[in-house]
Order: sequence, then C-alpha cells, then structure tokens
Amino acid sequence: MNAILQFDRVELGYGRHDVLKDVNLVLEAGDFLGIVGPNGAGKTTLLRAMIGTLNPKSGRLRRAPGVRFAYVPQRQYIDEVFPLSVMEVAMMGRYTLLGPVARPTKRDRDFVIKCLGHVGIADLAGRTYRELSGGQKQRTLIARALAAEPQALILDEPTNDMDIAGEHAIMELIKSLHEQDKLTIVMVSHLLNVVVNYVRKLALIDGGLRMVGPTAEVLTSENLTGIYDAPIRIAEFGGRKVVLTGGGDA
Amino acid sequence: MLSVFRSPFMQVALIGGLIVGAVCAYLGVQVVLRRIVFVGAALAQVSSAGVGLALCMGWNPSLISLVLTLGGVAAFSVKTKDRSTTRESLIGVGYAVSSALAVLFVAKSAQGESHLLDVLSGNILTITPAQVWWMAGTAAAAAAVMALLGKQFLFSMFDPETAQAAGIHVALWDMAFFLILGVIISLAIRLAGTLLVFAFLVLPAVTGLLLSRRLDRINAIAIASACAATVAGLYASVKMDLPSGPAIVACSFALLAIAWLVSRFR
Repeated sequence: MNAILQFDRVELGYGRHDVLKDVNLVLEAGDFLGIVGPNGAGKTTLLRAMIGTLNPKSGRLRRAPGVRFAYVPQRQYIDEVFPLSVMEVAMMGRYTLLGPVARPTKRDRDFVIKCLGHVGIADLAGRTYRELSGGQKQRTLIARALAAEPQALILDEPTNDMDIAGEHAIMELIKSLHEQDKLTIVMVSHLLNVVVNYVRKLALIDGGLRMVGPTAEVLTSENLTGIYDAPIRIAEFGGRKVVLTGGGDA
Repeated sequence: MLSVFRSPFMQVALIGGLIVGAVCAYLGVQVVLRRIVFVGAALAQVSSAGVGLALCMGWNPSLISLVLTLGGVAAFSVKTKDRSTTRESLIGVGYAVSSALAVLFVAKSAQGESHLLDVLSGNILTITPAQVWWMAGTAAAAAAVMALLGKQFLFSMFDPETAQAAGIHVALWDMAFFLILGVIISLAIRLAGTLLVFAFLVLPAVTGLLLSRRLDRINAIAIASACAATVAGLYASVKMDLPSGPAIVACSFALLAIAWLVSRFR
C-alpha cells in the first residue's frame, strides 16, 4: 500500500458545528476515488480537508511527503469580472513553484502551453477566460492544476451545469489523466450517474464516511437507499451503470 | 495651456495630483475587481474623520488619519462569520458614522467649518512640496510591492480557495492589500480630499475596464486617464474659477463617458 493521504479518526467542522465525524480514509497513489452523498452531507468539507484549507478539529490527517496535490474548483466559484486570458489563468498553477518574487520564464510559458494542449485548448491561450464556454473553462482550470506538476488532482463537481456531451468530454479527459498520465484522482460530485461509470473507488458521505471501497462493492441499492433516504435502484444499460430513483422494475 | 502651470504652486499641485491619481487609479483597478468599491469610500471617510479628530484635538492630522484608517482596514477586511449580518453592512455603518464624525469634529475644531470643505472636497492647490515628496515615496513603495508580489495578489483575489490550497496565505495577502490601500488613502486624503481620492479609486479603473480586456492594459489606461483628468481638471479650475477636486472628477467622468461610448460602438 502506498498511501499519499490518510485520515485517521478525523473530525471536521466549522467553529462549534461538526460536519463529519470519525473519518477514516486512505487515498493511495493511483486511486480514482469518487466522493458522493446528498446535499449537506459534508462532501465539500471533506474536500477542503483534503486540499488543506480546513484543519481537522481532532484526529490525524497525514500527507505523504513530496506528493503534490492540485485542486480544480467548481468553475462557478470563479469571479468572471477579472479580465484574464486563458494563459494567465493557467499560469497561476506555476506560481507556488516559482516563489513569491520570480516572474514566469519562457520555460514556464512553454510548460503551460503544453498543459493547455494536453487538455485540448492550446489554441485558446490568448482568449479571455470569461468568454469561454463551460467546458472550455473547466479545461482551463484543469490545465492550471496540471501546470503545478501534481501527482494527485482533486476536483470539485467538474461537470456541474454541463450538457451531456460536455459532461462526457470532461469525464473522458479526467479518465485519460488517470490512465495515461497516472495521476491519482479524487472527485466530488452529486451526479451519481456520471461518477459511478468512471471511478474505481467510491466513498459515500452522510455526516460521516459511511462506506468506502471498490465501486462495484459500494454501489448497491441498499447502500444508496440508506444514504439518500429514498428508494434507489442500480440498473445497467449499454454496459453503463444507471442510478434510478423510485419504485418499479429496471 | 502651459501658462497655467508656470507658477510654482500650480506645479506642486499638478505633480501631487498626478501622483495621487496614478497610484489611486492603479490600486483602484484591484478595488473594482475585488468588488470592494465601498471599502474605498468608507476608508476615505474614516481617514477624513481622523483629520477632523486631529483638527479638533490639536493633534497631527496625518498621523491620526493614518491610525484611524488602519483601524478601518482591520475592521473592514475581516470576513464576518456571523450570518445575521454582512461585511457590507459593517462597511456601511463605518461609512455613515465616519462621515458624520468628520463633520462633527471639524465643526468643533478651532479652525471651524472653513476646513470642512477642504477635508471633504480637497484643495490640491494648497499642498506643499514636502507633502508631495511623502506621497511620491509612499506611492513608489506601494507600486513596487504590488508589482513585485503581483502574482500572489492576483491569485488570492481571483480564486482564493485554490490559492489557499496552493499554499498562498490568502488572508495575509488580502490584509496586505488593504494595508497598502489604507496607507495610500490616508496620505492622499491630505492632498486631494475625500471626494477626489474616492473618484480616483473608481472612475479611471472603470474607464480602463471599459476599454480593454487585458489587466496590464487596463492598469495603463486607468493611470493615463487619471493623469489626463488631473491636467485637464486643474486647467479648467484655473481658467473657469472652479474648485479643483470636483473639476478633476468631472474631467475623469468625461473620459469614462467617452470610454463607454467607444466600448458600445467598437
């Protein structure tokens, strides 16, 4: 086992408000983990602990030394008033590697262009970020994360508010980053039908980490019905898993 | 036009106005992008309340103005965790109370209400070379810090959560920006008055944002439009016997209106 992030009886919350209790989770190098759960279950809280912006109230959170994590936020959280080019946004990924005073060099610019090319938008480098489509913005944010030369990517709702084609394209990109580039991937999503067809491991969250394991083991009607407090069935259609709510035959 | 600027006091006023305009316009682009325009207005009022307090008590106006402005920076830059109120409401309270206190302090000062107009609308024609030197040195230091550490300021205001995840101490950089803003405002108020300083923080930045989609060009346009408005406003104030501060604001607005028209029709 090659753990790069380990939660050991971790309690998370804000002030006096506890959100997640007794979280035990091991993220291994090469994992492709999906974190799902109902609204208010604590998905974002767990993610914040993973990216280091929220400290545990108790318990231990250990990171493997030398492993670099990069974060891809929900693109809706980015304030589009900023007149920045795609290149300028993606370059931010290099900032922590550069140090506080140094300016990006030609090598940095070449690397960022390579990252933009890797996600299929090298031709958009000079365009203004706010003028891009949702899918192009998401690719820009992924390129920015790649510019930091990480070993692990943590993505928050990467396909939110996308049409089916855009959703598929972004998930295929994330899949290729996992399979071709050997990046460890963690993604939080409320879109069960999207997540379950890509991730290798699934974590169910609801006020605590209820279950984590290989997708095939965790993704059962019983587990999801218990978490979402609604009748849920799992069906297969064209080789893909489909999560359905309500009664009736699949 | 040059004849207007031949007298030494007009040259000092011009140089002082150009420095205040340039540095406020540069910071103003970030003020507008950070959506904290009202913070600029509130800090300007807090600073003028400090001047009023100093006049009332016979203290050093620059020092008291700086101390109160830094207090305002500390109060306005903290994000409240109390959901029953908002940071905007705190800034609004600060703005209203500071405005009232400035008037009350000046009304009770030995110099009386004759100083009130200077504090609020400014009288850039009466500034001294020493004030200009202080402003120039502080503006140069602020610009150097902003330029050298621009990456951190940019990342932390554009996407605070990701910047924090990348190891950038966002709260520290926000505080640094507010501190620079507070120091510049408290010094600039003494030269140009509340109205002109607030106008320089907003109008040139909006002019730049209307004309360009590149941050470096927006900064350049904002600085150029503030300087142009200063020259034109001072010229108009002498030729038409108008108060200098409002004349510069009017010229700055004229440039903004032209920029708006250009942005509509291009």
